[in-house]
Amino acid sequence: MAKFKQHATSWFIMLPGIILFGFFLWVPLLQSVRMSFYRTRNIELVEFVGFDNFISIFNRHEFRQALVNTFSYTIWSILLGFLVPIFLALIIGETVRGKGFFRTVAYVPNVLPGLAAMILWRAFFSAESTGVINILLGHLGIGPMTFLTEANWVIPIIVLISTWRGAGATALIYMAGLAGINPELYEAATIDGAGIWKRIRYITAPAIFNLGSTLLILQIIAIFQIMYEPLVLTRGGPDNASISLMLLMWNYAFGGNMDFGRASAVAVITAVILLGFTVLYQIAQRRKVDWD
Amino acid sequence: MKKSLLFMVVAIFILLLLTACGDNDNTGSGSIASEGSAPVTTAAPPEEIEDISIDVVDPYLTATITLGNWPPDTAPGAELALFEGFREIMRAQYPNVTVVPAFFSYTLANYLPMARGGTAPNLFQPPFTDPPLLISQGLVADVTDALAEFGILDKFSPSYIELLGDENGRIFGLPRDGYVLGMHINIDLFEEAGLIDEDGLPMVPRTLQEVAETGRIIREETGRAGLVFPASETFGGWLFTNIAWNFGATGENAIQSQDENGRWVANFTSEPMIEAMYYIRALRWEYDILNADATTTDWAGSHNILGTGQAAMNFAANDSVAEPTAGRGLPVESFALIPFPAGPGGAYALTGGTAFMFSPDTNHDQAMAVLGFLRIIGVLPFVDDDTVAAMRAGASAARDRGVPVLPPVPAWNDDEFIATQRAVADEFSNVDMRLFDDFFNSFTDGTITLRGEEPLFTQQMYRELTAAIQRIITRENADVLTALQQAQDRFQEFLDDEVNR
Repeated sequence: MAKFKQHATSWFIMLPGIILFGFFLWVPLLQSVRMSFYRTRNIELVEFVGFDNFISIFNRHEFRQALVNTFSYTIWSILLGFLVPIFLALIIGETVRGKGFFRTVAYVPNVLPGLAAMILWRAFFSAESTGVINILLGHLGIGPMTFLTEANWVIPIIVLISTWRGAGATALIYMAGLAGINPELYEAATIDGAGIWKRIRYITAPAIFNLGSTLLILQIIAIFQIMYEPLVLTRGGPDNASISLMLLMWNYAFGGNMDFGRASAVAVITAVILLGFTVLYQIAQRRKVDWD
Repeated sequence: MKKSLLFMVVAIFILLLLTACGDNDNTGSGSIASEGSAPVTTAAPPEEIEDISIDVVDPYLTATITLGNWPPDTAPGAELALFEGFREIMRAQYPNVTVVPAFFSYTLANYLPMARGGTAPNLFQPPFTDPPLLISQGLVADVTDALAEFGILDKFSPSYIELLGDENGRIFGLPRDGYVLGMHINIDLFEEAGLIDEDGLPMVPRTLQEVAETGRIIREETGRAGLVFPASETFGGWLFTNIAWNFGATGENAIQSQDENGRWVANFTSEPMIEAMYYIRALRWEYDILNADATTTDWAGSHNILGTGQAAMNFAANDSVAEPTAGRGLPVESFALIPFPAGPGGAYALTGGTAFMFSPDTNHDQAMAVLGFLRIIGVLPFVDDDTVAAMRAGASAARDRGVPVLPPVPAWNDDEFIATQRAVADEFSNVDMRLFDDFFNSFTDGTITLRGEEPLFTQQMYRELTAAIQRIITRENADVLTALQQAQDRFQEFLDDEVNR
């Protein structure tokens, strides 16, 4: 009882947060898992069907395509998007004058509402002669190009746009990490004749390795849930070339059939895959700690 | 000091920007008083509205009704004023009914959460493709008794009773208007391409082959797209279905059919379907008349492209003539509507329409009040002075904001009402009817055969066909048969999963 009294204030402070967290996160999450095992009538549960929804979507081509595409988004995101914030952080960190300005400029895309940013980019990448990039290319004597209508290019372009939007915020986190490095290490390395690349390789990279690993797994989790970018830019086309798991989930729920059972099944599968990534990451981290 | 100065300049700039944004010219004399969240408008309603009676119709009916599709703040003043005028009349005729405007434009995705959450407007307007789904999902109110009490149930045509009712004969909505798919024409581009005859009329295509040839001339002469083809989401499949019918995908080659065991079968690989897809392929790779962004163009985008002169032709219907004209700035005299071009297998045109439906929590009194409002705005099948005045006010406002005033495609089984609608359209006509007569005559003289949508899961079918079209128009070497076979297999998977198991 004495212990309870001792902690009562702490629990009282946390209570609103716990209630809100439970109401807005855990209840919908558990409801979604439950729904995935039911035949539904919009959001009402009609009949328990076991794993039928899962079996049904595994047999559907659009799920297989969405799964492959989502991994493609992830790989492209790592290729295009992982190093960009690190470079941004390094460049801004090295800037002597106007550091605040560049930091703000890098972060501004993140402030824009996501849908508005995508609508903006759609106008940029429009294949019509009125597309902003095509207008610019026209001034250089290059004919209009199709961008978002090319099946092979659509995912890299969407990832590029996502990187533009998110890199600034990630760069700020890296900058905070870089600020924690003792400057004396750089001074000592410089005196020992280490150039910029050696300083990055032997001082900066090891110092931000853990931070980078965490941000990488967060990036994978985020890109695995990509939805509104292809929804606005391509609607998943051309020929499902840019459909993602989350967009497929949206299509099942709101695309004309109100199939919330299958939509929930897609969400659960996505969550399981991400859980797998997180477990792998944790195992890798533990091994690294043991090895250290 | 420098920083403070910079901060002040930025703050003043933002303030000015916000002030400019907030100034929407909603003040001044002549404003119509309004309640709730309705916008205040400076435009006066059309004078015809004054002919509608303001005598009390039902002093006891007490309800608050939320009406979707109310014109938003950004709508033209004439339209806002018209609706505010109607609301004033509603207030006079039904003193205990409160009308709450809702700037809600229906899509399945935005309606569902609102209906489930109890915030959907009492009245909303879905296309005819959605009522069966909404009824089966319990997302709309049963208004049979209100319709009967209002005296309009017997004016429903049987096909609408089937569309808007359930197996127990209960009715969940009423038709707003009908549409027939045809083709919108931007006459300016025809003129620029030299496609004007001796009577000064555009030399419009009558067949699908002529669409290709006309489009090529327009592309060569103007550099603009001959045809805008919205091929995103489900739109491509929607239009393709009509093209396929005209290549002969009907009867024994029907796109959907039931076999001898009652199993539903998708038939995308029939000869007419293959020819239709080869036609689409030719439009892109041989004639090169499609807009470049076809795979990301949707219905609204297609109207935008035609209305702003980036394309000369668009497969579209009579119910969307306001989109390229008043909506996108194309003058009515530069606009024409022609019948859906015929193909080697026939001349069919898709027919559909828009319904008025009611949110699931709408009670009897609210339904009666909504019907009262619909009568005031002149869309219910009554022929009396008030209805004629409302029709005239609506036509007058449409004319004022640059919408082609055209005869209706009838939604009600009432000859007198239809004749009245036509007479009003004639009176307020703002177009050269020679540019529209072929369209309206085509389905009355039998030149065109009207067809409803295919029976099952049309949105899913359109989605699969759209994916096939996207493949064909983005990859020059894509195989037509393979694309259609794949789409057929996918849709058959869906049918087997949903109805054949």
